[in-house]
Amino acid sequence: MKLLHTELLIARHFKNSVFKNPAIYIITLFIGALLLFATFLGWDNYKSQNEASEKYQHESREDWLKNPDKNPHRMAHYGNFAFRKSTSLSVFEFGMEPFFGNAIFLEAHKQNTANFSEAGFSNSMLRFGEISIGMVLQILLPLLIFFIGFNAIAFERENGTLKLLLSQGISWKQLLFGKIFGIASVIMLLFIPTILVLVFVWLLLQNFTISADETFKMILFILFHFIYLMFFCVIAVLVSASSKTSKKALVSLIGIWLILTIILPRTSQAIGAYLYEAPSKVQFNSEIEQDILKQGDSHNPNDVHYKAIKDSLLRTYKVDSVQKLPFNYSGFIMTEGERISSKIYNDHLEKLLKIYDKQNSFSKAVSFLNPYIAMKNLSMGLSNTDYDSYIDFQKQAEIYRYDMAQKMNALQIKYISNKKPGAKEKPLTIGKEHWADVEEFHYEPKGISDVLKTEILSIISVSFWIIILFMLIRFAAKNLNAI
Amino acid sequence: MLQLLFKNFIRSKGTKFGLLFLLIIGFISLLIGLQFQEKQQNNIAETTIYQKEHIARNASFHKDEIGLLLYYVKFSLVNKTLPINSLVIGQRDVNPSIQSVTIRGLEAQKYDSELNNPSNLLAGNIDFSFVLLYLFPLLIIAFSYNLISEEKESGTWKIVATQSSNTFFYILKLFYVRILSLIGLLTLLLIIAIIFLQIPVDKSFAVFYGIAVLYVLLWFSVCFFIVSLQKNSNFNAVILLTIWLFLIIILPAAINTYIINKYKVPEALELTLKQRNAYHEKWDMDKQTTLNKFYEHYPQFKNYVLPDAEFSWLWYYAMQQMGDDESAVQSKELEAKLEQRNHASEAIAQFIPTLHTQIQLNEIAKSDLKNQLSFLKETTKFHEKLRLHFYPKIFDNAPVEQQDWDDYKVETFTDATEISFTKAFLPLLAFNVLLIGMGWFNFKRMI
Repeated sequence: MKLLHTELLIARHFKNSVFKNPAIYIITLFIGALLLFATFLGWDNYKSQNEASEKYQHESREDWLKNPDKNPHRMAHYGNFAFRKSTSLSVFEFGMEPFFGNAIFLEAHKQNTANFSEAGFSNSMLRFGEISIGMVLQILLPLLIFFIGFNAIAFERENGTLKLLLSQGISWKQLLFGKIFGIASVIMLLFIPTILVLVFVWLLLQNFTISADETFKMILFILFHFIYLMFFCVIAVLVSASSKTSKKALVSLIGIWLILTIILPRTSQAIGAYLYEAPSKVQFNSEIEQDILKQGDSHNPNDVHYKAIKDSLLRTYKVDSVQKLPFNYSGFIMTEGERISSKIYNDHLEKLLKIYDKQNSFSKAVSFLNPYIAMKNLSMGLSNTDYDSYIDFQKQAEIYRYDMAQKMNALQIKYISNKKPGAKEKPLTIGKEHWADVEEFHYEPKGISDVLKTEILSIISVSFWIIILFMLIRFAAKNLNAI
Repeated sequence: MLQLLFKNFIRSKGTKFGLLFLLIIGFISLLIGLQFQEKQQNNIAETTIYQKEHIARNASFHKDEIGLLLYYVKFSLVNKTLPINSLVIGQRDVNPSIQSVTIRGLEAQKYDSELNNPSNLLAGNIDFSFVLLYLFPLLIIAFSYNLISEEKESGTWKIVATQSSNTFFYILKLFYVRILSLIGLLTLLLIIAIIFLQIPVDKSFAVFYGIAVLYVLLWFSVCFFIVSLQKNSNFNAVILLTIWLFLIIILPAAINTYIINKYKVPEALELTLKQRNAYHEKWDMDKQTTLNKFYEHYPQFKNYVLPDAEFSWLWYYAMQQMGDDESAVQSKELEAKLEQRNHASEAIAQFIPTLHTQIQLNEIAKSDLKNQLSFLKETTKFHEKLRLHFYPKIFDNAPVEQQDWDDYKVETFTDATEISFTKAFLPLLAFNVLLIGMGWFNFKRMI
């Protein structure tokens, strides 16, 4: 019981003094209400988004299977959809979700954009941000910690009670830790109920059948947020301890909060975006088209590349016209065209993603200085609402699209006769049973190990901050004085 | 007296640093605006060249079939970007400012999104409107939260009170000095913007400037009111930052979340499935039935009868047309929902000055949802015009070479929405008057 006895006494004392101020009840009540509002809307949003996405994914699949006998190339144009689904943690952390497209139409020859993002359907209000549990935990609670904590030591100094405390044999270290625990105990009154509700809602969403992956993500989500909030308790006490007056402490803390949560995240990303300019869709598409034309245009009857293929086929099979080939010639050409155009598209996409990576690198680097960015990145990673998850979704959709198109081409090569039907003859078809050969699109969100791999920098940053803050406490305990 | 107050204010290190910081970040915002402007202009220039080459190339490939040619050819419509847009990028980064469409089904092409790095979108732009909306208030708060309270805390207030004949007048002067320096900074930044970004000084710019000034004044009014309560500096700082937090983050975010949840748009996904099926199922249906529906829509094409062949372009474009016609209900619903969203947010925004300012600035810069909706409508008209122009040529199989393909230039849509002074200024004015009135009342009572 002797252990930390003094610290806990100081903590209890501080907590009582905080609750003497009636404003704290109003704030707590308000934040509580905001958390409930955020949970409810997050839940509602998640359910409707996932229900819609599942419904239409399913419907589009039924539609696909219902198609009658037809030419496989018609089916390649009929196409499929990839609808984006959210993970259960996204109820609490929206991340970039509002800016993600929710549906991609997947067809032959063409990589379509991911459309129907929430942002595209909103007015500028969305750009002010959204209320989610993550936002409350990451932005509002740190400010609340600062508002509660700026007085912690500076006020005692102003009052002269600091000298009394220290002369009673309490060490600086005990005092600092005591105050940190004091602030933390106030914040935990908000944090713990929030986590309980969070876990309950999260269990409810999955009908109490949880996977190991999801559970691990959830535990890390809670753990990192806890550590993150503790950072701010420590910062508040340290700043309060090193300020002459409580006013100075308050102004410095507000400044720190503004820089960490409002100014730096936007500026660092803006610098990246400014320095590494990404092409717009117009430019991107026209560059791809030019490269495809260079490689060979399957629509151009006199194209050199395709003429070479034709000649070599005729030579190999020792025939004098493509109609005499033992397989469907246009299916073969389309396979080649799809291969070339996808390769070129993917090359350009890689280039584009490299530019995006460079743009993001600034903010990643700043996450070392700014625990908010590190926390935000981690939280978005764990809830699969981060940049990498979105790119991953698009890549999975593109792989599916390519396989579908090539499967249809293969069916054409194999089953469609090489002799074109006359103008009045029925078109050539294959049986509808083949449509089921193409599996339904299924998006698999990134697992915990991939998330941790991409967020390694944020984890290092968090560990780095733990060390720095401990060192600062030790340094402060040695060098602070009472006046 | 005023001169002394001004000297005293400007001499402080904090003031100099604050003003310099705002000037620098304001200038950075103009650089970002310039980059945005250049990108938009390059895109338009590139589209113009691209369209010309693209049409010429395809016209040379598909000489004998105009129907096949028009399967490929894309025509572009540009949503005009005003120079003032560089100050308020708004939604123009999310939504494409150029639509390129073929005369095939429109619903499958209309909602194609712009390429974007979602990290940039999430972080938001540092355009001038960000500096104005977020950062100006912070500096205003920093400059005025401790007026009077600081002097009271250091004990100099009694001296001031006995030395000046009218303390209320003294307080007004303190504010006057601060207002003047920030309005001065705002004006300086906008003058640089006019030169640097070639923004015409016209009615929209005047409204822009008016809103910006009223917005800056609004924050001084808020500070004036809080200072009039005559609490201590710490209380003022906490309460002012909380007000800022509410107006800049919590309320807009809560309202946005509410609106998105209230007006959900499942129609979007339904629409996209519907148009796909409506078109594709026609391949396996009776051709004449499809054509009859087509004639119903366009009676003027009744004399083009279905040729006796397995495939004809008349039939093909009739099928494509059906994709649009049969998903028209969903398309209309989606449009109506988005308009509802816009109305609801504008209505609520009148009571939240920060939101109101942002929405009004976006409206002036034509970068709001309303502009996007008008652009989509215009795209529909543009597409319809092309269809009606090309349909008879396709059905007659008009010779490709006889068309003057150079005539099909990139077209531009100019959003002609007029700016209303009352709508723009009234809410801000009302808040200003209210806060100053209440502050005045408090001072009169207490001093």
